[in-house]
Amino acid sequence: MDDSSEKTIWHLFVEGEVKAFSTLFKSYYSQLHNYGLKISGNSSITEDCLQTFFVYLYDNRQNLGTVNHIKAYLFVSFRRALLKNLKKERKYTNYEEYFEISKVFEFSAEELIVEQEFTNVRSHALSQLLNRLSARERESIYLKYYSGLTTHEIAEVMEISYQSVLNTLQKAFTKLRGHIESGQIEQVFKLN
Amino acid sequence: MNESNRSLLEILLNDSSFENWVNKSNQNDMEFWESWISNNPDKMETVYSAKSILTGISFNKTVLPEGKINMELSAVLEQISTNDTDKAIPLTRILSSRVQKYTAVAAVGILFIVLGNLFINSSSLITHKTGFGEIIDLKLPDGTSVVLNGNSEITYDKDNSRDIALKGEAYFKVKSIPSTKAKFWVKTKDLRVEVFGTQFHVNTREDKTDVLLDEGSIYLVLNNGSTKKMVPGELVSFSNDSNTVLHEKVTKELSYSLWREGTYIFNNITLEEVMKNVEHAYGVETEFIDESLKLEPLTGGVPNQNLKICLSAIEKSTGTRIVQKGNRLLIFKN
Repeated sequence: MDDSSEKTIWHLFVEGEVKAFSTLFKSYYSQLHNYGLKISGNSSITEDCLQTFFVYLYDNRQNLGTVNHIKAYLFVSFRRALLKNLKKERKYTNYEEYFEISKVFEFSAEELIVEQEFTNVRSHALSQLLNRLSARERESIYLKYYSGLTTHEIAEVMEISYQSVLNTLQKAFTKLRGHIESGQIEQVFKLN
Repeated sequence: MNESNRSLLEILLNDSSFENWVNKSNQNDMEFWESWISNNPDKMETVYSAKSILTGISFNKTVLPEGKINMELSAVLEQISTNDTDKAIPLTRILSSRVQKYTAVAAVGILFIVLGNLFINSSSLITHKTGFGEIIDLKLPDGTSVVLNGNSEITYDKDNSRDIALKGEAYFKVKSIPSTKAKFWVKTKDLRVEVFGTQFHVNTREDKTDVLLDEGSIYLVLNNGSTKKMVPGELVSFSNDSNTVLHEKVTKELSYSLWREGTYIFNNITLEEVMKNVEHAYGVETEFIDESLKLEPLTGGVPNQNLKICLSAIEKSTGTRIVQKGNRLLIFKN
């Protein structure tokens, strides 16, 4: 769906077109589902929350204000709804704490595509290196390369500035390069 | 990380020629960035960061089966319709008056669209024109994309967007149509470019037309009747008035300027020539307070999203100070 036709669909949805709502649902459900799984690590919590989220979205469509980036808007509001839910259930005091202690945005070797000349072992090693990054670094990598959000959209979703997104990405890749260059990748091989 | 590195990272990430270097997809850009890197060894760290951010990490994406999505959707739709019947009557009234208002707005909108169409229909020529300092990104009906620099104009027949007349400066990414092998033409006052599917830059400022080819291959039919075949990485400059042709390979030594998606790329160009580009795109006049600065050479990328950014990039790379007084740019030694 291109940008302008998506805006038209959003407009129709706000006016109460159920068909437009269904189109939005179908184009974003899978992506939001995957994002939710990465945050919560639990598919039933993710699915329950997605249902409530879409019902809420429809019921409150007149009060959503101006939405510029539809994708980023859906990601950020679903992220908030899910974290609120998790907070309620597990009684976390704040999100930061949750992000630190939980296994958010863990990547598995199967999820990674490594250039053909590399073996399966290599993607295993890469997933381990990725999982050593901070939760924020992993989330920004996820949003950029898995969900295909632009830097501006990531800033909106993670509720940080554009510059912070760039810094986070730069730090993440500097770390990855450092790990690889300092030969730690060999150690990872040995550990497995 | 200091302030200047940070802005360099941002500049690199938003520069399409840098992206071409990362993807090894463009001979001119590769040459340009290789030499830039060897001249700026202190910027290596930032260049590598920008490169890794652009290359990124590839994921195997999971997509849920359609059946599952439809099941979840019907569950949601059920809750929505139950909610609707719960709502009290006054609310539906508010809603319907809202709908009426929207209908009125929509009707006016349609009227404008109809009038607009009438105008277009009455003349079969379509023109896109940019003002000073304005850049537009166009998608033509055949899928070709054109980035039009400031103070430039393209015209084509609405039934044939593959035959274009250009005044000013533009960058083309021509969509190839393998099934029909349909060609694409760009006509200027000096020559005609015949294209199949490719990327190239055309500049008709001054008394000549410059064509620089990035990808694919093109034929030029010059207004003096001769033809030229171009291969990627070549520059052809032809002037109808003086009947002079220049056909050269782009190298580190050659002086040329080109413009691509919001960035000027200058190689061995004097500040005087650089400022001519700025004058054309922004409708300003330049005055060299220090005449010796005219010959100051410039090599590098200059972003031109707006005049301010453009001028500050030029100031930095030439060690000058440019003061804007209304429509005039005064150039001093810094």
